[in-house]
Amino acid sequence: MGRRARDVRLAYLLLAPAVLLLLTALAYPIGWEVWTSLTDLSPLNDRPTAFVGLANYRHLAGDPAFWRAAANTVAYAVVTCAVKLALGLGLALLLARPVRGRALVFLAIFLPWAYPASVSVIGWYWTLSPPIPTAYSVFMGQMKNAVDGVLGGGAWAFLSVTLFNIWRGSSFIGVFLLAGINAIPPELFECAALESKSAWRRFWLVTVPLLKPFLALAVFLALTTAFADLANVWMLTAGRIVYPVLGTHAYWLAIHGGQFGPASALSLTLAPFLLAALFVLFRMFDPPERERA
Amino acid sequence: MAQVMMKDLNKKYDEVHAVKDVNLHIRDKEFVVLVGPSGCGKSTTLRMVAGLEEITAGEITIGERVVNDLPPKDRDIAMVFQNYALYPHMTVYDNMAFGLKMRKFPKTEIAKRVGEAAEILGIQELLKRKPRQLSGGQRQRVAVGRAIVRHPQVFLFDEPLSNLDAKLRVQMRVELKRLHERLETTAIYVTHDQVEAMTLGDRVVVMKDGWIQQVGEPLELYSRPANRFVAGFIGSPSMNFVEMTVAEANGGLWADTSGLRVKVPPSSAGRLGPYKGQKVTLGIRPEDLRVASGADSADYSFDTVVEVVEPLGSEILLDLKAGPNVMVARVDPTVRVKHQDKMRLSLHPERVHFFDNKTELAI
Repeated sequence: MGRRARDVRLAYLLLAPAVLLLLTALAYPIGWEVWTSLTDLSPLNDRPTAFVGLANYRHLAGDPAFWRAAANTVAYAVVTCAVKLALGLGLALLLARPVRGRALVFLAIFLPWAYPASVSVIGWYWTLSPPIPTAYSVFMGQMKNAVDGVLGGGAWAFLSVTLFNIWRGSSFIGVFLLAGINAIPPELFECAALESKSAWRRFWLVTVPLLKPFLALAVFLALTTAFADLANVWMLTAGRIVYPVLGTHAYWLAIHGGQFGPASALSLTLAPFLLAALFVLFRMFDPPERERA
Repeated sequence: MAQVMMKDLNKKYDEVHAVKDVNLHIRDKEFVVLVGPSGCGKSTTLRMVAGLEEITAGEITIGERVVNDLPPKDRDIAMVFQNYALYPHMTVYDNMAFGLKMRKFPKTEIAKRVGEAAEILGIQELLKRKPRQLSGGQRQRVAVGRAIVRHPQVFLFDEPLSNLDAKLRVQMRVELKRLHERLETTAIYVTHDQVEAMTLGDRVVVMKDGWIQQVGEPLELYSRPANRFVAGFIGSPSMNFVEMTVAEANGGLWADTSGLRVKVPPSSAGRLGPYKGQKVTLGIRPEDLRVASGADSADYSFDTVVEVVEPLGSEILLDLKAGPNVMVARVDPTVRVKHQDKMRLSLHPERVHFFDNKTELAI
């Protein structure tokens, strides 16, 4: 056996654990899900599971509940992502300046992210739906009715989920982008200050392009957490889903309805779009060599 | 084209007084180098001129204008940074055009100026590249080019050659000097390297602990250092210092210490008179020591033992001991000498320096 062949074998051997992990933890579940989405698998079925082709997908296409959940999910992801990015970038830029007591402010900003979600969710839940009747709870009750009155039932709950996601996510993105800003040599900003008085122009011509990889990664993280969000929505609305997103909708279908096939199809519908978005973003923060700056 | 005036300039951070009462008049078209060890306040001074640091007290004038309250952009200066500060997302052309674009120059004018600067610096071929694809020396040229296209009143250089390797640094040093002769623009240049300071500066400002130690032409600093710090900082290898006692004998003044006794040269005798019986520091540069020959006066000669021999090709550096006193001598490469040899040295009487032990000022 030649030296090269031995090297190649060794390379595969060294890769094996990672490949095995990917296969069992990622490829198998995804493959299973894809397969299930093409069947009528259900614990409620007496008869053997049958292959139904694209029937589940066809059914979804004609189901208004699906379109509602999909629209909610997209709205949820886009709105939270945009607001988190804007707030996070603002916080990061403010924190990048040397100010007195910066460490404390930093801590305050990072706390929403560092705190266990399960606990802070209860805080938000009680803040938005106070458990004890007081003047405040009356006021919040009126707010809820006003919001639901204008935007339809469940809007208040959806708004609270959105707020919670933004509150928690801005904190993370702020700290994340601050690390990004700190990684950029200060001379690059100083050099811009020598050329332009307008902070706005410097922001767009220098700060944003320099931060682009970090911004892309931040959007990447914000999008994935929003699209995959089930836990926060579930906890914050205590399962009373009046404004379903795809995650909760699939959960209902599968766990409560026992319809594994349609639920699998449902949770896969956004995958192609999400993958495309992630691919574009990935190219932005890790461009191929020839396009590198 | 402009002069730069600094009047009672001070910079204080919370705890640190970084720049202390700096007064400096930089003439139009002059190339002035601020030099000193790190933390001496040279960069802070430069950054105050640029407007990147606020002025705690004092006044800076560029041309006829007091610029204290002017934002950096309106000071009509261009700065070259140590790490080049090129924008990685822009091509070389865009990097050079950046300042002009920000100032909304017309496109044709930008193209003309970038073209001119690229030609001067020999980087026409690189205009479409990104900084990542350039070598250190090329990046440095682009950074300089970005400054030239602006046609500023004053160039500010903050250790621009410190990130280059030794050979390239020497080459760029020459180019910068040529460039200054061609552009005739006032320049302030900060470095910790005394060789750069001596070779580039029309005048050199030596700083330490926030104070200006001495301002002068390079050779003036070398031959007439104002104090012990400047004497030791300028010149390589550094000046030798020996603490000695001034005493009168045989109708003349002598500097005396264990293992070393030399006559005070007549040119210094008058000034050293009041120090009779006191300690002073004698300073002599390694190049002002030579192997004694019969022609040398015994008054200026003394015996040493060779401790280390460093042959450099063009010269030999000798680490010697005269009694307990350590010194370095720079001798002709033809001198045959080895470790532990005894050697009689003679010093150049007109090039001996004396410093007050308390004030460290030259006597």
